[in-house]
Formats: sequence, structure tokens, C-alpha cells
Amino acid sequence: MTVVLLTKATRVATLLSGRKRAKWPSSSFLRRLLRNRSATFGGAVLIAAALAAVFAGAIFDADPLDMVGRPYTWPFTDRLHPLGTDMLGRDILVGLVYAARVSLAIGFAAAALSTILGVSLGVLAGYFGGWTDGLISRLTEVFQTMPPLILAVVVVTVLSPSVGSIACGIGIASWPQIARIVRAETLRLRDSEFVQAAVSVGEGHLRIVAGHILPNALPQIVVTGSILVASAILTEAALAFLGLGDPNEISWGSMIGAGREAMRTAWYMTALPGLAITAVVLSLNLLADGLNDVLNPRAGNV
Amino acid sequence: MHRPFVWLPTRRSLLAAGTAGLAAAGLSRGAHAGDVAKPGGTLVVVLDPEPAGLVAGISISAPAVAVSSNIFDGLVVLDETFTPRPQLAESWETSQDGLSITFRLRKDVSWHDGKPFTSADVQYSLIEVTKKTHPRGNAVFANLTAVETPDPHTAVFRFSRPSPVVWAALEGTETQILPRHLYEGTNPIANPWTAKPVGTGAFVFKEWIRGDRIVLERNPNYWDKGCPLLDRIVFRTIRDAGSRTATLEAGEAQYGAMNPVSLADTERLRGSADLTVETRGFEGSAPMYFFDFNMRRKPFDDIRVRQAFAHALDRTALARTIWYGLAEPATGPIPSYQKAFYNPDTPQYAFDPKKAEALLDEAGLKRGPGGVRLRIDHVPCAYGDDYIRAAEFYRQALKRIGVELRVRTFDLPTYLRVIFTDYDFDTHSAWYSAYPDPQIGVQRRYWSQAIKKGTPSSNASQVADPDLDQVIEAIQVAGDPAERHALIRRFQSVAQEKLPSINLLELKFFRVYAKNLDGISFAPFGGYQSFKTVSTSV
Repeated sequence: MTVVLLTKATRVATLLSGRKRAKWPSSSFLRRLLRNRSATFGGAVLIAAALAAVFAGAIFDADPLDMVGRPYTWPFTDRLHPLGTDMLGRDILVGLVYAARVSLAIGFAAAALSTILGVSLGVLAGYFGGWTDGLISRLTEVFQTMPPLILAVVVVTVLSPSVGSIACGIGIASWPQIARIVRAETLRLRDSEFVQAAVSVGEGHLRIVAGHILPNALPQIVVTGSILVASAILTEAALAFLGLGDPNEISWGSMIGAGREAMRTAWYMTALPGLAITAVVLSLNLLADGLNDVLNPRAGNV
Repeated sequence: MHRPFVWLPTRRSLLAAGTAGLAAAGLSRGAHAGDVAKPGGTLVVVLDPEPAGLVAGISISAPAVAVSSNIFDGLVVLDETFTPRPQLAESWETSQDGLSITFRLRKDVSWHDGKPFTSADVQYSLIEVTKKTHPRGNAVFANLTAVETPDPHTAVFRFSRPSPVVWAALEGTETQILPRHLYEGTNPIANPWTAKPVGTGAFVFKEWIRGDRIVLERNPNYWDKGCPLLDRIVFRTIRDAGSRTATLEAGEAQYGAMNPVSLADTERLRGSADLTVETRGFEGSAPMYFFDFNMRRKPFDDIRVRQAFAHALDRTALARTIWYGLAEPATGPIPSYQKAFYNPDTPQYAFDPKKAEALLDEAGLKRGPGGVRLRIDHVPCAYGDDYIRAAEFYRQALKRIGVELRVRTFDLPTYLRVIFTDYDFDTHSAWYSAYPDPQIGVQRRYWSQAIKKGTPSSNASQVADPDLDQVIEAIQVAGDPAERHALIRRFQSVAQEKLPSINLLELKFFRVYAKNLDGISFAPFGGYQSFKTVSTSV
């Protein structure tokens, strides 16, 4: 009897001291990430876009919505407007740089919103199980049966188009994916020995979730989150294409939406912001892939 | 012809090949108007949106009129000079006091079901349908007290006051004559014949496959001998503007009614060897585009602020960039091509940003931090992206004089509620049809009695000005044409002087059709009239 108890106590002690450490970014993590070529490329493009967004005002001291040139100037035909002008005579290069602000802001804000919603609901469902899990899982399924774009259209239409309502609409439409992943991760981790150990020494729910479960689910969250940013940028473009962009702000999507009608006469108005979106979405996907390789312990090259 | 994409001709020829069957029905491409007219054949028309009903006399909308003017006739038809010409009425006379009009009707007209057309049909249509269900009918025919039918081929209109305005509304595109024997005693809107109409017109209703097409066939017993020339008309509903352009370019359809392609595409199509972009035929509906102020909100009660806005907007540039030249700057509320009423000598507000700034300074709106004097919102009408782009144009133009304009966009039902029920806007831009008589389409923008909560195209700016009211009400009761014309001229001066609304553009609506079509009507309502004189040349 005593022996058994002792053995058990020793095992708990061993587990607690040697438990899996959370993988917070460290220099070795960065080094591994930099060694991953696709992640490096993706990160570089993304940083360039972010710099353009932040320093847009310093690069071009102009209002991107001002009608500065002759409408329908093709790219590379006028030195004043290297990438041409749109149907109102707005400079497309200046537009592309400034549009990075709204597109990235909407992308990250929407992804943050859906990550917060998804992680909270996913952890609650996976950790507590039972009727909480049943309720949240049904809710997730209800949201998953609705096409995300249609749901975003409804939210944006009801709130009337603005940067805030668009980010909100996309965020609300895209949380189920991350909720399901986090729930599955939580279910797996909940039964792991180190969580059992934490339970047995009487750690509270909050501490267990914040200290043991979330850090171990982080790789999955980061990877899914970066893909959510990419899909939010694409959804914003789709909304703008449908005429649901914020008319007071310039984004890559709104540039495509405006150029759409002139597609047969001046395809460059749609193609140039389209290229910007492609580059950023591709780089986000590459970065996510790279993160997955580096963070996923089962990848084998750790 | 220059084309931006290499693949386009291929796709176009594929489409053309796919529709060879339709083309073979009688419409050869590439021929030019003026050659020998060839009777027979099928005309394919692209139409958008699909009408809710096919009897425009009961539920009027632009697409409903475009279809049903082929099925129904009116008493008269307006010619190029807005003069009424005989249609179902052979002749007419107005009494000296202007209180009655006697119409002598054609004797050789029968309904598509064989029953004879009589004055009882005219009486029923005017009193029971137009006056009760037409959105403008009750106002236009307010003084019409009775239609007497002394014999089957005479109809006498009795008025309580002279009403010269009715001449602008008696044409078939506005007031249709319906068969009394099918409608009497029923609710016209719920009557089953409204979905399979029986008229007196040049074409007989054949079938309506909702969401796809409406088919009409030649009426062999039409009273106007020699008409119609076509065997069949097929109206196809195509929702996407790009697809409509492709359909027309491929020759799959030969006629596009009511702005069938995007404005950006018109420029390219105007260079086309096969298609015509025609802007005549809309002088009767006369779309007038304007910039409204919410007159119940500050600072728009100050006329200097409104004048400043008028001086800040370059209407020539607006017409050129946003409308690709398919618009002319307006000088007042009545379009210049309605020569009988138009007054060119009204106060004008030339594009002059400096003057605009001076006026705003004078009104006490000095530039504050960031150079901003005033922050307001603007709601463009929800009829398409062109109007949102125009709002972006105003935003940039007003920014130059220190006014920050925030553009708010809505879907159509919300837009109608925000503007016409909630009046929740600072400024608003839209177009209303002026119609052939300002009493029908123009006074509703300026008359205090036209502030009708919940009524679309009413007085949304809520202007209530005693001078405007006085001249508008004088026009309504004037019986003598000369006196009435003088009042209408004065109304235009008052409207421009008081400036509750900036008249921006005379919009030019357009049709796109194959160059080998003959007999297209260019009358004021030509854009909506019957295809009875249309044929293809060979």
C-alpha cells in the first residue's frame, strides 16, 4: 500500500518536473524558421507589405483617392504615374501602397477576432466536454453550414460597409475552423499525462488551460491563424468585388471592385491589385507552411 | 477592331456559333440600316431586371413598359416634338373652357381574344385602373371626374379644372387601355390575366418562363395595316452586365433595352462595326441627376453653403469621367431638350472653388485643424456602382474646399428607407425622371406637399419654400397654355435661385442594338415603345 502510494507520488513529481515545455519563440526557433526557405520568402514579402502599409504616408505624401491624372492611363506610359491611373484618374501605384493598410488591417483584425472566438469556444468545448461541448459543437456546426462569404455579406450589409464592419463580418464568419482545431487539440491534451498530473496536484482550470493546454496547442493556432489572415484578405476582396467595400477607404479589394466594370477595356486596373493580393496571400500560406514544419513536433526534423 | 485580349475573338465566335440557330431565324449581321427591309424574323431583346408583371398599366416599371407597350396601345403617342399623335384615338377636341376632351376611337380594333375594343374599355382603364393603381395616375388625373361613353367609339373626359398636364400622360407607355371584359369586378393586380396579358397591341403574348424569357408573337389582326414586321420577339432576362455585353457582341441578342451594358463598355461598343449605342428615345422619361441637401439640418439652411457646394462641383468633368460623356451638365430642373418648357435664363453656378471657399468663409465655416471646415455624410442612390463612383468624385471635389464628405452606401431597400422614411442624411445624390411635363416629375422635388414620408422619389430634401410652393401651385391650376408656360419658366428661375438642390446632369440613357435593325423609334418614349415598325434589313 505504502509502496504503491510512494510510486505514484514519485511519478507525479517526475512528470511535473520533466513536463513538456511550451514552445515560445526562441533563438533556436528563429534559426530553424530562417533555414526554411518558403517561410523566409513568405515572411519577407509580408514584412515588405507591412512596411509599405506603415510608411505609406512617408513614401507618397498624397491622398490615394485624389484624381491626379488623366483617366485610363496605362501602366508604363506616363512617368508621373508609373503604374497608370484608374477610371477616375487616381494613381494606381499610390493606391496599391495605401491599400496595403486597409487590406492588412482587415486581414489581421478579422483573423484576430476569429482566433479569439475560435480559441475560447474550442478550449471550452474540449476542456469541459459534456453538455458544454455539445452546445458549442452544435453552434459550430450551425455556423459551418452557412457559407462564410454569404454570412460575411449579411453582416456587412446589416452593419453597412465600413472597415470595422467588414473585419467583424469576416471574423464572425470564419471562427468555426479554428474552434474545431482547438477543440480537438484540447481533447488530446486534456488526457495527456502532464495535464492529469496538474489536475492531481490541484491546479485550477484557468491555470491548466493557460499554462498547459494553450501553450501546447499554440503551433496549431499560429499556423491556422496565418491562413485565416490570408483568407480574410481574400474575403475582403470578394466583398469589395460585390460592391460591399468601404467607399471611404482604399483597399486592394475596393480597387478590384472599381476596376471590374472596365475589365474589358483596361484590365490592368483589376490585375495590379489582384497581383498584390496574390503575393500577400501566397506569402502568408508559405509562412504558415514554414511555421507548421518548424513548430510541428511530429515533422521529424526537430 | 482593336481588342485587348487575344482570346476574345475566339470566345466571341464560339458564342456566335452556338447561337447560329437564332441568327438564322432571320437576322443577318453586318448589313447596314437603309437597305431593303425584310419582314419576318425573330428579335431577341436583353432585358434587366425582369419585370414583376407584364401589364405596365397595373404595375408600372421600366422593364414592364418595355415589354407591354408591344401588347397594349394607348390613346395617343407622342412624336419627336412631344405632340400627341393618334393611336387608339383617331381624333380629339378640347372644349373652349378646357373642362372636357372628346376622343373619337378607332372602329376596327379588337382585343387579342377577338372581343371588340370600345369606349367602355377607355372608361374602365382611366377611372378604375389608372386613377386607382398607377403611382402617378392619381395626381396627374386628379381633376378627371368622369369618362362618358355616349357611343362605343366616343369617350368624353370630364375635368373639374383644366388639366393640360394629362397630355403628357396619355401615351401608351404611361397610360394603357386594358380590356374591361376581363378585368371588371376584379382586383386588377391579382387578376390572372395580368400574367398572360390580352391587349390590342401589335404583338400577342405567347409565354413567360420566369427568370428566363418572355415570348411575344405577331398579331395578324393588328389595326395598323402593314405592322408589325417581325414574327416574334423574345425578351431574355440576363442579370450580369458583362454577360449582356457578350450576348450583344456575339449577335445572340440584337437589342438591349435601357442601359444594357456598363458605362465603361459603351466607349468600346461605340467603335463597334455591328452595334449602335443610341441615346435618343429617353427624352420622355428625362432622367435628371441632382445633389440634394437635407434642408432640415444645419448648415444647409444657409443658402451660401448650398451655393458654395454648387460652385465646388465641376459638372463637365463629372459628365466626362463618371458618365463617359453619356450626360450633359444641367442648367436647371427641366432638361434642355424639352424645348417647350425649358428656360435657359436661370441663375447658374459656374465651377469656381475659390468662390466656394469665400462663400463658406462668409457663412462662418472657417477652416479648422487639418484644413477641415465641415464634416458631413453623403448617400448616393443605390442604383449601381456609377453613383458610388460619382459620390467619390464629390468627396474629392469638396475636400478641396475643406469639406470632409463621408460616403455611406446601402442596398436598395435600406437606401429607400434611409432617404425617404428616416431622412437620415446630410447630402444625397440621385436621379428622378422629369417626364414630359414638369408637373409630373419635377415638382415633386420642390413642393412642400411632396414631402411624403415613405414615398420613394418624393421631396427627400424636405424643402418647404413659400415662393416655390406658390409658383408650383399656380402651374397646377393654370388652364391657359401660354400662362402655364410662363409660370413654368418662372418656376425654373426660382428653383435655381433658392437652390434647395443642385441640378447636376441631364443623364443620357441608352439602347444598344444591331446596326441592321430598321424602324427603331426615336420619339420621346422611343426607348420603351413597341417594336411594331422594327425589321431587319438584308
